[in-house]
Order: sequence, then structure tokens, then C-alpha cells
Amino acid sequence: MWRPDVGAELVAGPPVSAPGAGSREQILARVARATVGRKRTAHPGNLLTPTPADPVAEFVKRFTSQGGEVVEGDGTQPWAEWLTGFLGGLDTAVTGAAVGADVPSELRPQLPVVAAAHAGAGISVAWAAVAETGSLILPSTGTRAVQLLPPVHIVWVPEGRVFARLEDALRELRGALPAAVGLHSAPSKSADIGQTVVTGVHGPGRCIAVLA
Amino acid sequence: MRTRIGEYPARAAAAIREAPEVRESVTGATLAFDRKRRHAYSGVNADRWRRWAEAVKNHALTHLDDHLTEAEERLEANGAHVHWAADAAEARRIVTAIASDHSVATVVKGKSMLTEEIDLNPALEDAGVEVLETDLGEYILQLLDEPPSHILGPAIHKSLHEVRDLFADRLGAEPGSDPDALAEAARRVLRDAFIHADMGITGGNFLVAETGTVALIENEGNIRLTTSLPRVHIALVGIEKLLPRMTDLAGFLQLTARAATGQPIGCFVSLIQGPASRPGDDGPEEVHVILVDNGRTDVLAHPHAWEALRCLRCGACLNACPVYRQTGGHAYGYVYSGPIGSVLDPGLLGLHEAMPLPFASSLCGACFDACPVRIPIPELLLEWRREAQEQGLTPWKERAALAGLATVATRPGLYRLAGKIGSRLGGTGAARALPMLGNWARERALPQPSRHTFRELWREGIE
Amino acid sequence: MNVALFVTCLADHYFADAAADTVRLLRHLGCTVTFPDAQTCCGQPAYNAGRNAEALRMARHTADVFADAEAVVVPSGSCATMVKKFYADLMREPARRSGPAASRGNNRGTHATALPERTWELGEFIVHRLGVKELGDGLVGRRVAIHQGCHALRELRLESEPAVLLEGAGAEVVPWEAQDECCGFGGLFSVKMSAVSAAMADRKLDTLPPVDWVVSGDGGCILHLDGRSRARRLGTEFVHLATALWRGISRGAGTSDDGRLADSAPASAGRRGNATATS
Repeated sequence: MWRPDVGAELVAGPPVSAPGAGSREQILARVARATVGRKRTAHPGNLLTPTPADPVAEFVKRFTSQGGEVVEGDGTQPWAEWLTGFLGGLDTAVTGAAVGADVPSELRPQLPVVAAAHAGAGISVAWAAVAETGSLILPSTGTRAVQLLPPVHIVWVPEGRVFARLEDALRELRGALPAAVGLHSAPSKSADIGQTVVTGVHGPGRCIAVLA
Repeated sequence: MRTRIGEYPARAAAAIREAPEVRESVTGATLAFDRKRRHAYSGVNADRWRRWAEAVKNHALTHLDDHLTEAEERLEANGAHVHWAADAAEARRIVTAIASDHSVATVVKGKSMLTEEIDLNPALEDAGVEVLETDLGEYILQLLDEPPSHILGPAIHKSLHEVRDLFADRLGAEPGSDPDALAEAARRVLRDAFIHADMGITGGNFLVAETGTVALIENEGNIRLTTSLPRVHIALVGIEKLLPRMTDLAGFLQLTARAATGQPIGCFVSLIQGPASRPGDDGPEEVHVILVDNGRTDVLAHPHAWEALRCLRCGACLNACPVYRQTGGHAYGYVYSGPIGSVLDPGLLGLHEAMPLPFASSLCGACFDACPVRIPIPELLLEWRREAQEQGLTPWKERAALAGLATVATRPGLYRLAGKIGSRLGGTGAARALPMLGNWARERALPQPSRHTFRELWREGIE
Repeated sequence: MNVALFVTCLADHYFADAAADTVRLLRHLGCTVTFPDAQTCCGQPAYNAGRNAEALRMARHTADVFADAEAVVVPSGSCATMVKKFYADLMREPARRSGPAASRGNNRGTHATALPERTWELGEFIVHRLGVKELGDGLVGRRVAIHQGCHALRELRLESEPAVLLEGAGAEVVPWEAQDECCGFGGLFSVKMSAVSAAMADRKLDTLPPVDWVVSGDGGCILHLDGRSRARRLGTEFVHLATALWRGISRGAGTSDDGRLADSAPASAGRRGNATATS
């Protein structure tokens, strides 16, 4: 294949099977040399941000102020039934939902399950929520396309799983990290077109937290 | 990367003269960002947060070799591949080789300044790979074949009107569409790309050593899609992006968002440890992390400029900068523009290549007040100016004039005489005597010297 | 209180009247003002250009001139910053930049403290050293906008002082969205990056609300803004803080009894604030 410029470097470079093998030692040596004689300073410890008194109330306040929506169950009907009714009542009634692999059966709506790319809504379960930042923590043990492709994303927050501060959540998460974690704190938005905010650009335009 | 930094004064002047709409867009956008940043800082103990962040970064940068090897070890234990790239060419070579190994036809990209720095897209395109920028701003610029003009808002120099025309022309959007309809037009193209792309490429805001976590902040969701749907994900991360601990992210994710856009946190944050290798885990089959030097160890070795490596690429200094605001980023001639560019570029590229950026500042100090990691940008600008003087990189007339000033100013008799002559000459005469003032006078009325110096008034007696 | 005036080279030659008003103002507030005749330039042009060796020579000269002064007052935020902040930096590592002659250091003269600690920006001196905030009602009816000089604002953290004093003299300080933005002067910057610098001045001028005067404690900024304003024939009047305050005091004291403000009196007849001497 003809590759101007870059092609020449490709031929001249180290073998593809072990890219950058020599560079590792070179970079580490340069880093060590660069910092010789510089005072090595200590880590200052954690940034102690204030702890909200009522994490659930704080989460609701934060998440909604960032454009998210919160629904709290009143326990009068089973979740699946409630969810089915809720989806049917949306502006564009949802006829098929995408459901994350880790969503338990009692939380699944009584609707046809469709692929995320074609679903009107995606249903996920959060690992936890964070009050301080109004965030939902979504692990990759769920289905990532479900978390991202449908225009409406409905996220169950298990009972007792609202951390007061982000640091508290990360400390616990550190010991149980899946391949990836997503923090969703608002619907998708962008101001790249003429500095005007639009929502639902790539990810969900509505993000609804359901507090069990 | 070839730069056009040397043309800064001419290109800045041309931008102001010929593109008033750019100045208007950039001024409006940066003032809005800056207002939000100030408001967000006022909502927390910003001074304490910034000092904390400075200290964590200083710790990380003075223990960088330890943290780099720890991150590598953790990432490999998580099943990710780690590569080391000494320069831009090597980074490009590693990416194109991975693309070739996986017979990649299409790549979706998240916004990454580092991939701009290493000129990645042309290299992939030359290798026959189709590359799609998926950040809305970057996508606009890709259609226009323009580089980003701002670290955070790559297309802030474009007005709604221009995007409207572009999308009507290229995407078949209805003429006169509102921003929602325009975003929808882009979304249709990019949605399809996310689903069908073979590989996703992103940068990385942070790399956590103790967990091997690449952290990415965004608002649109395109980075989450880029790192979730394609089979292969490559993250290019500058070696200065290391954070020691997972809990450090708690402060940095919040501080970065407050500094950048005034938000408490980005709408989406991705924390990526590796590929989906365990049962029940969803995501790419392969994750590659490329640790890029490309001049960073030169900056690290500099006795003062190393502090610029704390940079979070939040763009707060650009938004606060009255110099940047007049022209936007393109005039600077390199990917890192504005105040941070003016102190980072001399370190990354060599001072000679980065001239005259250290002089492209009135030293007003607004950048330091905005910086979430307290990079002493005005002090570093002065430091680079000193080095430029020592290396003879400034005009000899300027050096001669300043040497002359020092001579006169340390001899009071001579100083008084010069003052008297100056005031007798008047404004036009002074401009003739000081040829540098010619430039000044083109845009400003000449200053009128007082008819008598203060010294003369004092001698006569002040009532 | 004995005060040595460091007039600065710019005020000496371009703002002689504002400098004279500084003397009048300080005397009115009970100070005895001296003017050490050997003073020249603080060295900031060289320092900002990165020519530390030259800057250090000028700094040493200035330190010698004011070695015996109890308090040094500077009617310029930028030059005050040079002395108060950058002299210390310059003298801290003289060996590195200026070679063998570095042994002559920061001349303390007869004082226990070095020059930076004995130096005051004019507004800072009045508010914090003299403790004066009330200056009568001579500026009642005057609408003014304040241009905050960057060095005083962000290096010395002097933010409220000009407003405190102007309001203390009865003026109405009109909010200005670009009040704390740089005017684009920056000394050499306005010459080297002339077009950008002029655009920065335009941003200030284009956002200026209707006022009688734009007041600043920095002659350099006034020189620049006034130059741009006159080139665009905007007719804006720029007034140095010392002049504005003295106009208020002299009017309040009844020196001008025709109902017009003191700026019409011969003693400080300024031309668009670009103080020309009339004595």
C-alpha cells in the first residue's frame, strides 16, 4: 500500500509485533532524568468536600437541576406494571424497550424487548447514585448500548445506594471495578452549534432515575 | 507537526481586520464560559480545591516514573494493551498498526487534543481508514477541514449561521434549520457510524495509576459510544495525565467541569479499566492505551515550565484571556493556543519554534485566576521571555532600546535631559525619536506629553 | 506622615498634572511630601521584556533613591506592583541573571524593611495606611466608570479601593461589564502586538456605559485607552484617580464657586484627562 510520509516511518519503525518496546525504557529514563534534584512532594490526601445531610434529597435536587428527572415509587403497584404504564404515557408512546442484561425480571416492563438501536427507551440498573454530583453510576455488566442509544434512558437506583459524596462511591467502587463504568449526570447535550444548547445529541435526551 | 506560530502577529491582525464575525463568536462564547466558571468557582471553596489539585498534580509529576509503571501494570492485569510512544510518528505508527491488525475500515473518534497534536487523522486516512470525528464541534470542523480553535469548544469561532449553511450544503439539512434540527442531521450520520465502526479512538483526561483507569469527561455521550460500541478502543494519553489514586478523581472530575463549563460534573464520565474480558461484561474486545511523550519529558526537565504539565486542558485560561478573545485560536498557529499554549508550546516544540507566543500577552493575570491547577502562566511567560532574550530571539532594536533605557534611567542627569527633550518635541516628535511607536500610532492617537514635566512643576512649587 | 513620591517616568512626562494632584491630595490628607530628585524609571519595561539584568540595574537605582524614605507612594498600580512584587523576585535570584555584580542588594537604607514593604499604590495608601475613606461630597452628581489596572487588581489584589475612594467623594460609580478586563496596553505588548492590543481597547470602549469620566489609577492604561478613543473620535474623558479625587476635594472645599467642577479651574485644566501642565 502506498503511504506517503507516514508510510516511510512505518517501514523504518520498530516491528509491529512489539510496538514501542524501546520507547518504554527511553521514556521512563527521560522521566527519571528530568526530575533529578527536584523536590518530590507528598500527596495531599483526599479533597474533603462537604457531606450533604440528606443524600437522597441532595441527589434529587442536583440531578434534576442538571436536566435529569427523578421518579420515586409509592409502593402501591408492582414496578413492572408501573413502568409499563409510564412508558405508554410518554409523549411518543414506547412500544418496545431495550433492557440491560443485568435488569432483574421484576423490573422489566411488559413490552416487547427490542434492540437498543431501535428502542424507544432503555432500561438499566445503576450500581449506585451520587448525591454530591447528581450522578448515576452505570457498570459495564449492564448493556452499554442500552445505556446510550435509546432516546429515553430509565435507570433503577437500588434502595440504600445513594452515596453522599463522589469520593465515597469511588472508594467502594475501587475494589469492584468492571471493565468500564459510566457516570451519567444529565441528558446528552451540546453547545457546539452557535453556542446554543441542544439535548439528546448522541446519548439519551431524557434520563430518568427511579428511586426504589 | 508543522506550525504557523511565527506568523502570529500578522495572522492575529488579519483575523481582527478580516473576520469580525470570528471575534464576535469567540468573544461571546468565551465570556459566557468564563461567567459560568466564575459562578461555579463561587459555589465551592475554589481556592482550597485549586491548591489541592495543584498539590496532587505536583506529587504525580514528581513521582511520574513510579505512577507510569504502576498504571501499566494495572492496565495489563485488566487485560488492556499498553504502548509507549516517544514521539508523534511512533504514536501514529502504533495506531495505524492496530488498525491494520484488525482490518479496520471505519474509526469513530472522541475529541482529543493529543490526536490533533500528533496529526493522527491524515495518517489513518493515508492508511485507507475512514475517520469520523463524533464530537459535534469537531464534526463541523472535519466537514470544513479546519483545525479546532479552542481546547474545549473546538468550533466556537463558528456562528449558527455558518453551521446552518454548512449542514444545508453537506447534510441536506433544511435551510434555516434551528440548532435542534441541525444536531439531528449530524446525529443521523454519526449514529450510523457508531454502530458500524470497527474501532473507537479517544484521548484521556486522566489515567489513574492504582486502578489503571482511563477517565474521560464529556457532555454529548459520543465518547461513551466511541468507547462502548466498536470492537477495539484506543486511548491516547499524554504521560503527564497520571493521577495516583482512584479517589483523586472525585476532586478532579468536579474541578475540571467547574473550570471548563461551570458544570458540577460533565454529563457523562467514562472510567475505563480494560476490555470486556469477564463473563457478563459488555464492551470492546480489545483496549489499547498509548502513553505518549512527544516533548513532554522536555517540558518536565525544564526548571520552571514543568508546572505547565499540570494542565487539565479545561480551556479556562482561554476563556479568561482578553488576548485570545480578539482572535480565537487559529491565529496562534498550533493546536495549543491561548495562555496555556503560549507557555506549553515553547516547551513542547522548542522556544525558537514557538516565538513570539511568550510575547503574545499583556500579562494581565486573568489566566492564573481561572486555572484550576494554579499554573503560574504570567510567571512562565516572563521566564520564556528571559530565555528568548538570552538566546537572542528578539529584535535587536528592542534589545538596544531597553539597554538604552537602563543606561538613561540609572543616570539621573541624563534622564532629566532626555525627559526635557522629549517634552519639547511633543507627541509626533517623540514618535519620530522612538521608531517603535510608529506601529502604535497607526491605531491610536499619539500620547500628548505634558507641557512641563512633573519635575519642573515640582521645582516651581505645587499649590 | 512623611511620604516620598515616586512619580514614575510615565507620570513625570505624560501625567504631570495628575502627579501634581497626587501631591495636593496627599498634603490635603496631612502628609508631608518629598520628591527625591534622582528617581527615574522603575524598570518595568525591561522586566516585562525579559531583560532582567537591565531591570535589576534600574531596581537597584530606585532602591538607592528611596533608601531613606519612610513611605513611598506611587500613583500607578503597575509601577507599584513592579516595586512591591517583582523587585523581590528580581533581587532574590540576582546571580542567575545578572552576573557578578549581584552582591549589591536590596538597599534597606535607614529602615528595617526593604523597599517593597515600604511602597504603596496611591489608593492603597489612602485607604489602608491613612485609613481614609470619606473625602467629602465634591463629586456628587459625577457618573464615573472605573478601569481596574491588571497589576493592581490581580498582583496586589487591590480591587475595591478606587471605588471606595470615588464613592467616598460622592461620585456614582457606574457598573461596567469590562471593568476588570485588560485594556490591552501591556507596555511592549501594545507595540509588538499592536492590532490585538487595539482590539482589546475597543472591547473596553465599546462596552462603556454613558459616564462623565473613566477613572483609573494607571497612567499607562489611560494613555492607551485615551489614544484609541481619540483615534476613533469617541470623546471619552479619561481621568487619573488622583485628579478625580483632587477635583472632588477642591470643589468640596469651595475653591470653585461658580457651580462648575474644579476641572474647569486653571490649576488642573486637563485636556481629555491627558493631563497637560498649565502652570
